[in-house]
Amino acid sequence: MLPSVKADPYAWPFDGRWSVADTALIVIDMQTDFLKPGGYCATMGLDVDLTASSIAPARRALARMRELGFPIIHTREGHRPDLSDLNANKRWRSARIGAEIGTPGPCGLLLTRGEPGWDIVPEVAPAPGEIVIDKPGKGAFHATDLEAILQRRGIRNLVFAGVTSDCCVHTTMTNANDKGYECLLLADASAALETRNHAMIVAITAKRGGQFGAVAAADDLLAALAPAKAPAESSR
Amino acid sequence: MRDGAKAMIGQVEGIYRWPCDGPWVAASAALVVVDMQRDHLDPDGWFALTGGDAAALRRIVPACAEAIALARTAGLGIVYTVEAHREDLDDLPANKLWRTQRLGRAVGAQGPLGRHLVRGEAGAAVVSALAPRAGEPVIVKAGKSGFIATDLDHILRRNGIRNLVFAGVTTDGAVQCTLRDANDRGYECLLLEDATASDVAAHHDDQIHTLSLAGGHYGSIAKVAALAAALSPEAVA
Repeated sequence: MLPSVKADPYAWPFDGRWSVADTALIVIDMQTDFLKPGGYCATMGLDVDLTASSIAPARRALARMRELGFPIIHTREGHRPDLSDLNANKRWRSARIGAEIGTPGPCGLLLTRGEPGWDIVPEVAPAPGEIVIDKPGKGAFHATDLEAILQRRGIRNLVFAGVTSDCCVHTTMTNANDKGYECLLLADASAALETRNHAMIVAITAKRGGQFGAVAAADDLLAALAPAKAPAESSR
Repeated sequence: MRDGAKAMIGQVEGIYRWPCDGPWVAASAALVVVDMQRDHLDPDGWFALTGGDAAALRRIVPACAEAIALARTAGLGIVYTVEAHREDLDDLPANKLWRTQRLGRAVGAQGPLGRHLVRGEAGAAVVSALAPRAGEPVIVKAGKSGFIATDLDHILRRNGIRNLVFAGVTTDGAVQCTLRDANDRGYECLLLEDATASDVAAHHDDQIHTLSLAGGHYGSIAKVAALAAALSPEAVA
């Protein structure tokens, strides 16, 4: 049994039960398009220094959970090269702010699968065997096999890292909560493109007894995992 | 859902002119009235009994009534959501039960308006000032989003709805969760900022702010008066 994670507004998970067998780390959209100069967000004129601040804490959580054998799930937002999965209004809005999805940017076609900007940044890149979910929307459950994978593996607890906290992370976490998953947001391993928006997400997540789950820092998770022993190489 | 309404309606003035693809017809649009039920709004309801400021939520009842009247007159569809669980609580996640126990009023426990957040109880009814009429579907949902484990998407598609106008509570809870899911599903969304509310005013303002990012990446945001102007008989061609 792992100790609970010190979190707000309650020690997580609610029932004290979590292990490598039933808990996954889900790392949302840690892509060049959202984190680095030249990507989709930077092209829109947004401050990717803020989102990039999540990389180091996310990397620490990822390294430790990977070492202990937790299932790791990465998501990527991006569209098929033929844009057959791109909603007309999403395309219109992106064009209106000068970053039309599917058009060339400094890192290849914006928000398009297979392009350099769409890649997960090397600091938190998926290891062989880790699950990667490609999604056309903000929520990772919509039009993907995420739920089928979670059910097949018997996962009931989800730890969230990634970007942006007020967009894809929040949409996916609130959906997961509605579906009955017990969720923990690692606040410093997540970030928004404005500090106000990140602070709001942290506040409304923990509001009313934790209406969407609980919130902790990456180090709180690591502290709870400190006594855990990594499995022998052969048993992984 | 209703008859025709084929006249072309001009765009609604908002953070962008809505819908994004130009003039629209009432038959392709629906007003979604989120969770305006007694459990959330009544002084004796579950929300107030667990420390929520229900009075702040009640303040938008007139604005919601105006939006509903506008939608009915113009021939938009109207869909309501309520948050309520099955009598046997088969659809209640263990962590939601645990959290509401900690708030002091568990889902399913007896209260002044019947069992809290349970289908068919008085608290699960839309407040009388906004009562649904025949032909206006009520979507009963166990979570925050109207799209999770419900027939909302099915009903909207079956009725040819592509544009959604949002009113109700709370801005930072069920309204935003449903709107975000609608946007992912390709619906063109408009949030009526003065017909939505949170118990914490700053959480309403902050949610509007984040939804406004990048010119409105979940849709447009407008006031009820802007919808009224677009739907006024003089404006409709």
